[in-house]
Amino acid sequence: MTTPPDEPVIRVEHLTKHYGGGLHRPGRGSGPIRALNDVSLEVEPGEIFGFLGPNGAGKTTMIRTLLGFLHASSGTATVLGHDIATESVALRRKVGYLPGGMAVYGSLTGGASLNYYADLQQREPVRREELAERLQLSRADLGRRVRDYSRGMRQKLGVIQALQHDPELAILDEPTEGLDPLMQLAFYEVLEDLRDAGRTIFMSSHYLGEVERVCSRVAIIRAGHLMAVQHVDELLARRKRRVSLRWRGAAPDLSEVPGIADVVATRDRITATLSGDVAPFVRAVASPSLVDLLIEPARLEEVFYEFYAGEDHDGPGGPG
Amino acid sequence: MSLRVLRQSLFWQRGRLIAVGLAALAWGALIPTFYVTFQDLFEGLIEQGFPENLLNFGSGSLFTLGGAMTIGFQHPMGIALAAVFAIGAAANAVAGEREAGTLEVVLARPVSRHRFYVSVGTAVMIGVAVVLALLLVGQVLGIFLLGVDDEIDMVLVPLVWVAGLLLWAAFAAFSLAASVSFDRRGPAIGLALAYLGINYFFEILGSFLPDLAWTQEYSLFHHFNPGEIVTGNLDPVDLVILGVAIVLPIIWALIVFPRRDLAAPA
Repeated sequence: MTTPPDEPVIRVEHLTKHYGGGLHRPGRGSGPIRALNDVSLEVEPGEIFGFLGPNGAGKTTMIRTLLGFLHASSGTATVLGHDIATESVALRRKVGYLPGGMAVYGSLTGGASLNYYADLQQREPVRREELAERLQLSRADLGRRVRDYSRGMRQKLGVIQALQHDPELAILDEPTEGLDPLMQLAFYEVLEDLRDAGRTIFMSSHYLGEVERVCSRVAIIRAGHLMAVQHVDELLARRKRRVSLRWRGAAPDLSEVPGIADVVATRDRITATLSGDVAPFVRAVASPSLVDLLIEPARLEEVFYEFYAGEDHDGPGGPG
Repeated sequence: MSLRVLRQSLFWQRGRLIAVGLAALAWGALIPTFYVTFQDLFEGLIEQGFPENLLNFGSGSLFTLGGAMTIGFQHPMGIALAAVFAIGAAANAVAGEREAGTLEVVLARPVSRHRFYVSVGTAVMIGVAVVLALLLVGQVLGIFLLGVDDEIDMVLVPLVWVAGLLLWAAFAAFSLAASVSFDRRGPAIGLALAYLGINYFFEILGSFLPDLAWTQEYSLFHHFNPGEIVTGNLDPVDLVILGVAIVLPIIWALIVFPRRDLAAPA
């Protein structure tokens, strides 16, 4: 069964997942945990879709529900045209999955692990060699027992096992955890190549920089509630960065810079927050008197705070 | 069933299977030696008025070769050898992978939970079958070496293996049911050991205390008696009881496992 080109690869409709559905009893916890609440979204073919949220927001619950590890309390979802409740096995044939903090069989070599996973997938590992080369996992590395691998090498192995069979959809949970910056870049390039080849990527992350780098659209989830589904460009336009500059002589005039706020000025230093495009700010401060300039990338938690400050969506028993 | 999961499970158990299998072979070979060595001594004790029930062990004794064969299977050594797979490997089969986090990497493939359960269960049963077969082969070797093969009907020996397999398949099925019901191996192994211990306790208690002999009826061990089998006294009802003890946990597992939520491992 192939998904028609104009059909969403993932379609989620009012998906809700509650843990611990027992009766609320005072003194015995706070009732069921509402890990996902009425979540609806669609992921289009050929896009890299980021699923953003802080720890405990419901990202992993969403992924595990899509793959059939968890059973939805209500709502429906299809993945590659397959209903997650009734056709879970069929959809997993077309999907590559990297779990967060992937566990490995320590007694197997890397190569034997990949062979095992490929056999279970019942598809040829057509991308294995290319991925191993790009992620710098050598033949010698693959010949070693996985118990001797570093955390980064295990993560590389996880990425390869998820993508080696060239899946139509890759579901990746925190895929760059444990990868060094160089390997992160290599991994981003792999994702972009997959996207260019028409594959779809659904990845969870709490690194905004990573999402900026590779994702075309993002969904933001907080305490099980879907807060927004946006194009990354829209997200960037709304976010705030911390800026800091130091100068010698006359202070630059920032009053006309759009998006500047929270300005704190001392004798030779200004700190502020900047939302939107950085170009006007850079133009305003560009002068020979500028000694130092720092534009910090916004952290996801800060973006959430900016987006949703004052709103309370946790509800009772939020996943925390 | 996934042959690939089965093959991998057997591959992981190969070292344990070799070690336990050799131990079972050696233990089995010792049993006829015990019989030949201690039979006269025990009969002498009876003649001196020693209570016979205190010289029994479970459903076995050293007064007959068949009884000695029964001891081979009911002695803690025989129990321990079979339990390595029927309890340890079975209880660990799903809960262990779940605890380690490796289960989800396998189940992310087109492998249904039913198929996974059947595959690891088959691997466990193969381990149990091999250990029991080697224990029995050891006994037969000892019997021929000591020249006491005329005391039992050797044609019936394979039936001992079949009945023994049913007994330990029942424990393995229970252990697997525990394994699919927990996220950690500790509770699964604990529950399986408790089940084994209760059955064993009832069997041994009833054999030592005639007033409590009725407890043996509630022990699965009591429904596997090699001594009766090799003398042509196999009770088909015992096989039915063991069959039921196998089927019920399997039904439980097949219902519960696919319906369980497999949350992210801690």
